[in-house]
Parts: sequence; structure tokens; C-alpha cells
Amino acid sequence: MIAAGCDVGSLTTKAVILNNTRLLGHAIARSSINPEKSAAEVIEKALKAARLTFDDIGFCVGTGYGRERIEFVKKTVSEISCHAKGAHFLQPSVRTIIDIGGQDCKAIRLDAKGEIVKFITNDKCASGTGRFLEVMAKLLGLKLEELGSISSQATRPINLASTCTVWAQAEVIMHLNEDMSRADLAAGINEAMAARVAILARSVGIEKDVCMSGGVAKNTGVLEAMEKQLGVPMRRLRVDPQMMGALGAAVFAREKMGGK
Amino acid sequence: MINNMKEAARSLQNDFVQKRKKDGGKVVGYSCTFIPEEILHAAGLLPFRLRGIGTTSMSIGDSYFGAVNCSLPKCMLQLAGQGSYRFLDGAIITNGCDSMRRLEECWRKASEDYPGTLPEYYKYFAVPHKSVDYSVEFYKEELGGMMETLEQHFKVKISEDSLRKSIRLYNEGRTCLQKLDELRQNRDVPISGEDAMAVLIAAHAMPQEQFIVILKDLIEKLKKAPSLSDGKKRLMLMGSASDDMDFIRTIEEAGAIVVADTVCYGSRTYSVLVDEQSDPVHALSSHYLTHSICPRMLGYYKTRRAYVMDVIRKANVDGVILQNVRFCDLHGSENGIFERDLESAGIPCMRLEREYGPLSETGRISMRIDAFMERITDPVFPINKVMYQDPEVQQHLHSK
Repeated sequence: MIAAGCDVGSLTTKAVILNNTRLLGHAIARSSINPEKSAAEVIEKALKAARLTFDDIGFCVGTGYGRERIEFVKKTVSEISCHAKGAHFLQPSVRTIIDIGGQDCKAIRLDAKGEIVKFITNDKCASGTGRFLEVMAKLLGLKLEELGSISSQATRPINLASTCTVWAQAEVIMHLNEDMSRADLAAGINEAMAARVAILARSVGIEKDVCMSGGVAKNTGVLEAMEKQLGVPMRRLRVDPQMMGALGAAVFAREKMGGK
Repeated sequence: MINNMKEAARSLQNDFVQKRKKDGGKVVGYSCTFIPEEILHAAGLLPFRLRGIGTTSMSIGDSYFGAVNCSLPKCMLQLAGQGSYRFLDGAIITNGCDSMRRLEECWRKASEDYPGTLPEYYKYFAVPHKSVDYSVEFYKEELGGMMETLEQHFKVKISEDSLRKSIRLYNEGRTCLQKLDELRQNRDVPISGEDAMAVLIAAHAMPQEQFIVILKDLIEKLKKAPSLSDGKKRLMLMGSASDDMDFIRTIEEAGAIVVADTVCYGSRTYSVLVDEQSDPVHALSSHYLTHSICPRMLGYYKTRRAYVMDVIRKANVDGVILQNVRFCDLHGSENGIFERDLESAGIPCMRLEREYGPLSETGRISMRIDAFMERITDPVFPINKVMYQDPEVQQHLHSK
């Protein structure tokens, strides 16, 4: 019983192949300008990792901003429900999910059955999204994944006055010109990010366990800053947090085929 | 017949407005629900609710307003500056909210740079924020002043008799709209929220006499029309100004039907009739200042909440979308209080901040609406409604 989920996000496209509760394969690639193509390529990669072919898939669910454009899915579900489903599947004790994606962030509260109780998403502004970190990493001459690790070396993290991506950029450039260490800058950026998203999380109401999903959850600097901001530990899940939406979609597909 | 209303709702200079102008009639625009159309009607003018539809650029709107103002008055100014409101013979701007109040100055200033774009009759009308004896008196004085200037400018006489006639006419319109609400509240809803919104907009964009004729006919047809609500979630739309039928369509495409609303341009103006017995100007003042559910009125949240709860009960609402235009401080803050209170009463709510104007954020909006629909759909299998017809899923549902 092979179920698949495909998440076409604003920055990356992800796919997950499930056999009952076993994760057989997953893949990720940068979203191209063509969502159909991105989805087809990524599902192909995930199938290859799972040593399967397209015909083996019993049911496939699509999600993400490009979900309506994926040709091979039988059903689409919003990414909010998919993140909730994925997190609940991995860790049923999770009640709050903070998802930071490429162009938005969401806070979702669940009940014990994994059903959504409340959710909130940010409004159109790049602060508090993966795009903000991408811009900042580039400015510091770092790879996106280095932004988290380097911040642990910070001694005096900077305090960003503005979380607006454009204004914060000007502020970071000013600090760079003052020869401030990249670790202190990176730590300040991660903290600013966490502070922005914590506001959203608080407004949906924090209930333990809390976990993070989306690409930004891979940034340990943001993760730790978020724990500090909210005063609760972030539950680390056993799957790449960026895969959560695709995983949730695959779980929906599995349920569709009768899996419990 | 509803097509006439849709046409009137989708364009500024609709056929009815053009006909009135061709016949030598005068059209006066007004910015918010606090202006009694009865007075303009009694003066022989066509009242026309100002809107911001059809803007494709904000080049003028953004130049005069600040960056953190609501996009509705900006869109109105854009239309004014580019000459789309040249057909108006007059305009009355209120202090409905602070951004709208600024429209009065911005339009006046913009007309210096874009000559000929300010209507010849142009008036600022101050509406009090409280509904007490002395504010009703103030409002009455403002109305008196407005009537005087209208009489002078348009060389007309607003008699007590003509005011009484206009009040009766508009009350008839209100009664018809209440009947439409009753149809929308039924278990079988014969009209989509998108079409109902067209009717509500048309009420303030065409001559009331013609509106009533069309609406009466429509109501008779709807009584025999098939239900559009089978298997759909019944939603209510609340919050700030919304005259965007495409926005409602986006909501309804997610498997919902909008059965009620409290938005400005929507169902705000007809739940109570104007008193036909007492002095007409006093009756209008007291009516417009007392029976508004706009959050600009200070200290009446609980009254508004009671009204909303009543509508939710009557229309059997499954969920509420609390939307507001970005930077709308009135609805932005009141939506938070409504969310708290309605959720604690067991009514699922979703808050949504959006821009007024061309619907450019459909992806983001649909994603949230889809997620909200998934939230309020019976939770056993929250993928979609089609599956409930699936025998396999039916079995699964019953086994649980």
C-alpha cells in the first residue's frame, strides 16, 4: 500500500513516499517557475530513493502553494492541515506546530486527535519567513544552513531594531561595516526571526508539546531562540522538518486508502 | 433580472446611472452608511455609494495618502483622480473612519493637480461617535446644513412631504432586503453569497424605485429556485468594507455558501425601519445614529455582539470569516474581540487581513479558506466532501 505526498512550496518542492507507516523515500528540490515540472521531478527522485515506480503509488495527495497545478495528484489539501497531519503522525503528543516556510509562517493548534483547533498565518510581509533568512545569509556571505550553526559562537548578539527584511538589511550592512562578528550578527538575525514568529505563536495559544516544521526549523539558532522566547522546549521530530507538509499529504493519502 | 443588479454592482457608471444622467438627472456620491439616502432622494438626486472597484494602479491614491492607510479610500481617490468619478454632480465624505475622513482632504488636494476631478458640490459631513440625545441633535444640525446646501446648489426644495415619501420608499427597500435575508437563512438557500452581495451593492448604486421592482421579482423567483446549499458549510462574513464579489466567490469555491454578513456594503443598513410617524429629519437622525453596527460607534460592542449572535443563530452559521482591510484599526481590533467571544461560544472563526482592490492574493486567501473549511468539516476525515459520498468512506465513518 504505497501512499505519496507532494508539497509544492514557494521556494522548494518536496515529496514523500510511505508504505503504511514506513517512510520509504523522500526528496526535495528548488521550486522552478513551473510547478508541474517541479512536482514531477521531485516525485521521480523520491520514487527512485524508494526503489519504486510511479505505477506503484496507490494514492497521492498534493499540497503547498502550487498544489492545484500538480497533474498527478488525486486530491489536494491545504498545507495547514498537512503540517498538522504530519506532526501528529510523527508525535501524537504535539499540540502546537510552528511552521516557517519560504514565504509565510503559520502557528497551528491541534487537539489530541490531531484535528486543527485554531490556526493563524502571517500577512503579506517577508519578515518571519524563510526568505528573510535567505536574504540575511547572503548578506553575511554564509550558506543558509550555516546561519544556525555559526550563531552558537556568538558572544554579544546584536539587537535588530526592525524585522522588516529591507530595513533589517540596512541595519546588518551598517554592523558589517563596523566589523561586527558574523556570529553575533547571525545570532541577532535568528533572534529577531524567532521574536517575530513568537508573536504569531502566542496569538494562537501555546500548548505543549510544541514542535517546529518547515525549512527554517533546521536552523538551530532560530529553534533555540524560539524556546527562549516562548519558554517551552521544541520537540525535535524524527523526520526532516522541511518534509512535514509532504509527509502529512502522504498520511492523508494513506488514510484515503483505508489506513488507520 | 439579477443580471441587471450584477451589472450595477460590477461597474461604476452602470446603465441605471447613465440613464439618469442622460435624462438630465443629478447623481451624488457618498462615502459611508451614515449618510441618509432618503435626503438625497427627496432632493430629486440619485444617491450613489462611492466605491473603489476596478483600480489597476495606485499611482494617484498612494501619492496623497500615507503608507499605512486603508486601501479603500486610496482606491476611491485613485478613481477620482483618474476621472472615473467625473459623472458625479456631488460628493459627500464622512468621518466614517480616520482614513475615510482623510479622503475629503486628499480628494480636494488631488483636484488641484488633476483639474476637473472634484464634483461641483463637495461636502464634508461629520458624524458623531456616540448615540445619545445631544449627538442626535448634532447630527440633526449637520443634516439640516447638508439639506440647505443641497437646496442651494441644486436649486431644489426638500419638503417634509417629499422626505416622508422617500422614507417610505427606502423602508420598502429595507423590507424587501429583510425578506432576502430570510431566504438566505433557510435550510435550503436559493442564492449564492456572491449573488446576494451583488443585490446588496446594487441597493446603493441604482434608483431605489427600480431596485425594489427587480428585487421583488427576484424574491418570487428565488422562492421556487433549487437549493444551492446542499452539502455546503454555511459561513458568515464579518468585518470591514467589502464589495468584492470575486472575494466571496473564492470563499464559496472552497465548498461553502455565504449565508449572512455584517460587512460595510453588505447587510448593515436594513435590519430596522425608519420611524414613519415622527418628524422626518429627527427620525432619520435617530435611526442612522442608533441602528448602526459599525465599530466606529463607541461603547456598543455588546449590542453588536448580540446582533451577530442573533444572525448566527437564525442563519445556522457553521463558521465566521472575520476579514479586515489592512490598517483598518476599527475592524482589525474588533475582529480580535469577536474571535475571542465567538470561539468561546463554540463558533469557529478565521481572521483574514487583506487589501481592498483587485484580488491579487487569491493563492494566500484560498489556502487559508481551504484550511478553515478543513477545520470546520466533520473531523473524521477532513479531506473533502466528495469523499463522504464514497461508500468506502461512508463505512469508515459509521464504523467509528
